[in-house]
Amino acid sequence: MNSKIAVLGALLAGSLPSQGTLAIKAGRLIPISGQELQNATVLIENGKIKAVGTDIEVPWDAKIIDASDMVVMPTYVTAHTTAGFRTGNENLANIPYITVADGIDPANAYFEESLRNGVGTIHVIQGNQTLFGGQGMILKPYGKTIEEMAVRSRSGLKLSLAPAAGSRMAQIQKMRRGLEDIVEYIADHERKRQEFEREKAAGATSDESFDEEMDPLKKPMVDVLQGNEKAYFYIPSAVELAEARRLIAKYDLDVVLVLGPRCHQAVESLAQSGIPVILDATMEYETTDSETEVVSSHCPAALFTKAGKEYALSLSTSANTMNRYPWWQMATAMRNGVTREQALASLTIVPARILGLEDDVGTLEPGKAANLQILTGDPLKATSWVETVILDGEVVYERDRDGRLRHLFGKDRADRQSVKN
Amino acid sequence: MKSTVAFILCVASVSGSLMAQGGAIVLRGATIYPVGSAPIENGTLVIEGGKITAIGDSQTPAPADARAIVCDADWVITPGLIDAGTSLSISAKNSNEQAKEVTPHMRILDAVEAGHRAFEKARNNGVTAVQINPGNANVIGGLGAVVKTWGGTTQEMLIKDASALRVTLGREPGSGNSRSGTQHNIYYRRPSTRMGTIWEVRKAFYDAMSYRDQKTIPGDAGPPPIDPGKEVLLQVLDGTLTVHTTARGEEDIRTALRIADEFGYRTVIQGGIEIWQVIDQVVDAQATVIFAPPSLNGANPDGAEGRSHTMNMMAERGVPFAIQTDSSLGERPLAHEAMVAMRNGLSFDKALASVTLVPAQVLGINDTVGTLEPGKNADLVVWSGAPFDPTSSALMVFIDGNQVVGPKTN
Repeated sequence: MNSKIAVLGALLAGSLPSQGTLAIKAGRLIPISGQELQNATVLIENGKIKAVGTDIEVPWDAKIIDASDMVVMPTYVTAHTTAGFRTGNENLANIPYITVADGIDPANAYFEESLRNGVGTIHVIQGNQTLFGGQGMILKPYGKTIEEMAVRSRSGLKLSLAPAAGSRMAQIQKMRRGLEDIVEYIADHERKRQEFEREKAAGATSDESFDEEMDPLKKPMVDVLQGNEKAYFYIPSAVELAEARRLIAKYDLDVVLVLGPRCHQAVESLAQSGIPVILDATMEYETTDSETEVVSSHCPAALFTKAGKEYALSLSTSANTMNRYPWWQMATAMRNGVTREQALASLTIVPARILGLEDDVGTLEPGKAANLQILTGDPLKATSWVETVILDGEVVYERDRDGRLRHLFGKDRADRQSVKN
Repeated sequence: MKSTVAFILCVASVSGSLMAQGGAIVLRGATIYPVGSAPIENGTLVIEGGKITAIGDSQTPAPADARAIVCDADWVITPGLIDAGTSLSISAKNSNEQAKEVTPHMRILDAVEAGHRAFEKARNNGVTAVQINPGNANVIGGLGAVVKTWGGTTQEMLIKDASALRVTLGREPGSGNSRSGTQHNIYYRRPSTRMGTIWEVRKAFYDAMSYRDQKTIPGDAGPPPIDPGKEVLLQVLDGTLTVHTTARGEEDIRTALRIADEFGYRTVIQGGIEIWQVIDQVVDAQATVIFAPPSLNGANPDGAEGRSHTMNMMAERGVPFAIQTDSSLGERPLAHEAMVAMRNGLSFDKALASVTLVPAQVLGINDTVGTLEPGKNADLVVWSGAPFDPTSSALMVFIDGNQVVGPKTN
């Protein structure tokens, strides 16, 4: 019992060329950008979608993938995750200079699991237990090196109001103070520059130009405050929202709000704002009145939809929860009253917009990256499986070559007997 | 003393529900999956006096004064779900009597909290009856109980007390015993190994057998004093009480079947995570399985290694199995487990049976619940769409004809 499998078959080893033309014949096509199509074709050239429709002429030399009994749609986009490396948190308060690129392990099982679930674009950023955290990057869950995986090598910075050591007030105070420090630093730098200009005008220096570089440890935060870098601002609960919004307005930050698991009270206030939001993977929860013990259920996704605001859904990275499945997260939203179209958008085009990738991913439209998944059935059915994933026109996942699934379904038993000791 | 013994001997006391309502109800328009008979589109189901009195097509008549519930065409009615293995409402501290490793006479019903939120959660998810088991920290933990998920007191909820005797094999019973890890301190208790656990089971039955001998042929000292625990074990040996053996690893599954064979009693395999490795033995033993829980695809309790196709295998080989959640707070809806089973390839019919009819049969309550047919209790669920579909939820739940959930609207 409990024999650990030493060797599992090579996984995800498909290798269709991304060069040349590829045609996918879809029984059903869900482009997200418009109406579903029956018996449609997606034409792919040089890793990009060239055409989508029911009357596409397929070049004679195109390689054809027959998915005429399957469903074709864009791969999902994960707008925020802290998975993919061994330690998601540096647990230090002020580290804007670190980057997840240095910590990501391309062989991490998370990426493999992402492909299995049809996720094709992932924003990885450091965890929330920080104040001014590290820089994130956007990548595809395929490739042997971080360079091969990279979609955007820099995505933004994590700012967090998660109370360190349990003190919400102290964390907020540190955030204010930290931002003010950077403002002062920028002003100081500017003063020095002006001083240099005066000296130069007075002929007091022989230097051509002001060459005092900014402190590289502070520069990422300077970029945030100067509007050159996006901030992924985490608030653990609705309590921090008011201060977060005050800071965003005061410093005119380019912000995406990453909401914690219990943010239903933040919905009303955020609905009218233009701030993009990413929801927590815990989509349904209950609160209990401390006095009467009356239990209330909440689903922030449904509340946002009701309030007319779009949002990106998140996927859990924990192995033993349904929340790790895109179909489950979307179905949960739907059980709570969100429409099918909104649910599908919240894991495709909405997160693409939030990441600034709406011209590249999130829908099946000509000109976009050929990132698509072929499913055995409707994406909202539990019984549907991702059969094939294509990223940038390249087949990167095939279910019948998925070593883990073969193992779990006993298809590798012959191999297993031979490696069992 | 005498009366205590009498009560213990009264195994499987079946109590009628005290809450049957008089008002007739008729549900029309939904698809009905009665389980055990063909589905009925645009069906009609009549409830009177807490029982189902008629079930059929749209022409089925109903009493004139019946409250009519008109269902959408895509709603689906199934029997109320039955979770054959839970510890609903029982906290970890209350589930294992720590006095001994063998406590066959402990009754979980004494610890069940009728108003617990876990029952409400179960109801909301379409579960109308559950077996509640003693915990898994004792080798022989005690007697389970089958209750409905609705009622003001445990007596009102009760379907069957002393429903089964829980035996746990593997490392779980010993896991809490060596508190500081060494065998040389006063906290050290047996068993601490898998072997020790199995010996405790054997010893218990040997002791019960010699107790029976002493009772049958008293020596000079007269008959032995009544031993409530051994009396329970004698019921097992006499075939009047079923054992539910929690066995997850393949060696424990084999051992559970072997010991049952050795002492001539019947056991249901509970857990059964590694059944895929010993399916032949399970088929040969004609064992029934309370399989649990399917959503734990990979890593599992007690180091057992799960496979996603285990239920498909059991279905193919004709092993009857019920799906359980093993949950204490209702945190894992049974319908989700059936959904995962279907995702892994189980047919809808098998999935539905494994949370309705089969658990009713395993628990010996299929004369009153488990299917929708005239004469049975009106325990049923109205689903917003296909049952076990991730977008479906239980809109209405009836227990003994009482509408205990809903109508919910989105």
